[in-house]
Amino acid sequence: MEKRKRNDRKLKDGILQGLIYLSAILTVTVLAVIIGFILYKGLPGINFDFLTRQWDDRTTFVNVERKAALTEKNDAAYVASLGITLALDNENIVISHIDKDSPVKAALNMKNQAYVLKKKDIITKAGDVKIEKMTAEEAAAVLNEGMGVVRIKIIRPGGGIVPMLVSTIYIILLSLIIAAPVGISSAIFLNEYAKRGRILRLIRFAIQNLAGIPSIIYGLFGMLVFVQIFKMQYSVLAGSLTLSIMLLPTIISTTEEALREIPPAYREASFGLGSTKLQTIRRIILPGALPGILVAIILSIGRIVGESAALIWTAGTVAQIPGALVGSEAGAATLTTKMYWLIKESADLSTASSIAVVLLVLIIVLNIASKLITRVFLTKKGMN
Amino acid sequence: MSDIIKFSVSDLNLFYGNFQALKNINMKIAKEKITAFIGPSGCGKSTFIKTVNRMNDLIEGVRITGEITMDGVDIYKDMDAISLRTRVGMVFQQPNPFPMSIYDNVAYGPRIHGIRKKNVLDEIVEKSLRQAAIWDEVKDKLKKSALAVSGGQQQRICIARTLAIEPEVILMDEPTSALDPISTLKIEDLATELKQFYTIIIVTHNMQQAGRISDKTAFFLNGEVIEYGETEQIFNKPRNKKTEDYITGRFG
Repeated sequence: MEKRKRNDRKLKDGILQGLIYLSAILTVTVLAVIIGFILYKGLPGINFDFLTRQWDDRTTFVNVERKAALTEKNDAAYVASLGITLALDNENIVISHIDKDSPVKAALNMKNQAYVLKKKDIITKAGDVKIEKMTAEEAAAVLNEGMGVVRIKIIRPGGGIVPMLVSTIYIILLSLIIAAPVGISSAIFLNEYAKRGRILRLIRFAIQNLAGIPSIIYGLFGMLVFVQIFKMQYSVLAGSLTLSIMLLPTIISTTEEALREIPPAYREASFGLGSTKLQTIRRIILPGALPGILVAIILSIGRIVGESAALIWTAGTVAQIPGALVGSEAGAATLTTKMYWLIKESADLSTASSIAVVLLVLIIVLNIASKLITRVFLTKKGMN
Repeated sequence: MSDIIKFSVSDLNLFYGNFQALKNINMKIAKEKITAFIGPSGCGKSTFIKTVNRMNDLIEGVRITGEITMDGVDIYKDMDAISLRTRVGMVFQQPNPFPMSIYDNVAYGPRIHGIRKKNVLDEIVEKSLRQAAIWDEVKDKLKKSALAVSGGQQQRICIARTLAIEPEVILMDEPTSALDPISTLKIEDLATELKQFYTIIIVTHNMQQAGRISDKTAFFLNGEVIEYGETEQIFNKPRNKKTEDYITGRFG
């Protein structure tokens, strides 16, 4: 009888322990599978072109001043007057090599701006001659004909994420420029100036709840207010303003946390020496809270990088380097919104996965940075 | 008595919300002497010392009635707290150097009061550290963190930091309660040294300390001053039964 009871208990313990282990293993496995899947799908698509090219193919007409042929090469695909070598790539005539003193480096577009030709640019027309469906040698012969300025139609192949990278950086910078000063000042107000009482509790309560609002609601608000009422259209500024509002609660509460960590004795000592409140804040409190504030900013960057819902209807999904803060030129898809768009519009899983790999790397770097800062902070405090 | 009066306190009451922490205090504090406040915990002695440089202003819900004058000027009505605190420096219970170098700690006060010149600051820092009897111990590590030295040294750095703003009065709120006996003796020697130039008010738990260094002693109990007089008289011939009980160690 006794023995059976003991065995029962052993069995129960074993089952429970097994379940606990299983849950832990399950979590780790799921994580590993997700990351593995993304790497498997995405890594093959990542190469130098992916990281450095524009998203869309871009067609441009350029004028190139041909030089008197000096260097002769024993290569029929070499265009001596332009200093370039052509090659056939996927039925396109592409530039496969550019001489150091090649005149295509001084090419001008139709607005007379410099438009330097690069390797892998596709040439489709020289003067009035279409050179599509030619061999490299035939095309080179066409290009070599004549003297003086030649107008060339160039297609620069896209397929890269540069616009999204740049847009993401713009939105990070703009959002932080707006949100960080406001958030940090608010935290200082709440922690150093505001009188304790019902109003302060109400403000804190509001901030906590704002932090929990789904980002799509901020997106909706941003669309209605910034995009429509303020007529910003889908733009970097509308997106950044929306994100700033979304980030404020996090920045405020993290900064407040850091401010609360400053020992009251420092404040007393500073006031005791006859400093004003602002002097105390500037010289004692802010320097002490700086690591915490930096962590708040890094967390914010992480959220911006990962945000899609709040941006789709405020910054748009156009892959371009924004040319303005507001207006039709200012639309800016971040990496994450572009991923969303890719899956929704073109079901292009592999490109989306490649972007996901870039995002993963970014997030890991940010996390390491915030860990490092926290550690520096902790060792500093250890000196007390 | 030919003492010059530095502070004159009349009918001072202090309330934390509904709680009355100081009751009807009347006292004259002599210039360039050491005045000690003794009494059991929660008797109001620390609260009182903080009314002298208006540190209580920083606490919410504090209400003060009555009058304190310094050199005849009402410190609550006719002076702002900032300029008062540059004339009345304070040393706290726990050594509280800022988390910066020893030099920057001592230079903090002069800097916030607008002194920028390096050579002037150097002079002030050295003079203050010498006055606080710690120059020889730290002169080679002025750029090191003030948190890296011992508690007793930290407290003397804090005293130097206070001296650097050239106050007229130094308030010491149990300055040795967190220190070992040897550091305590050093600070006591320092206090007796400093009283030639400064008016010193010291709050202490340690009756021997009050007896050793102070010229006058006030005994606080439940927010009231029970007895105030020459230290010798208080310790040897207390007039009040409660003072006697406290001093002879019957309570507190």
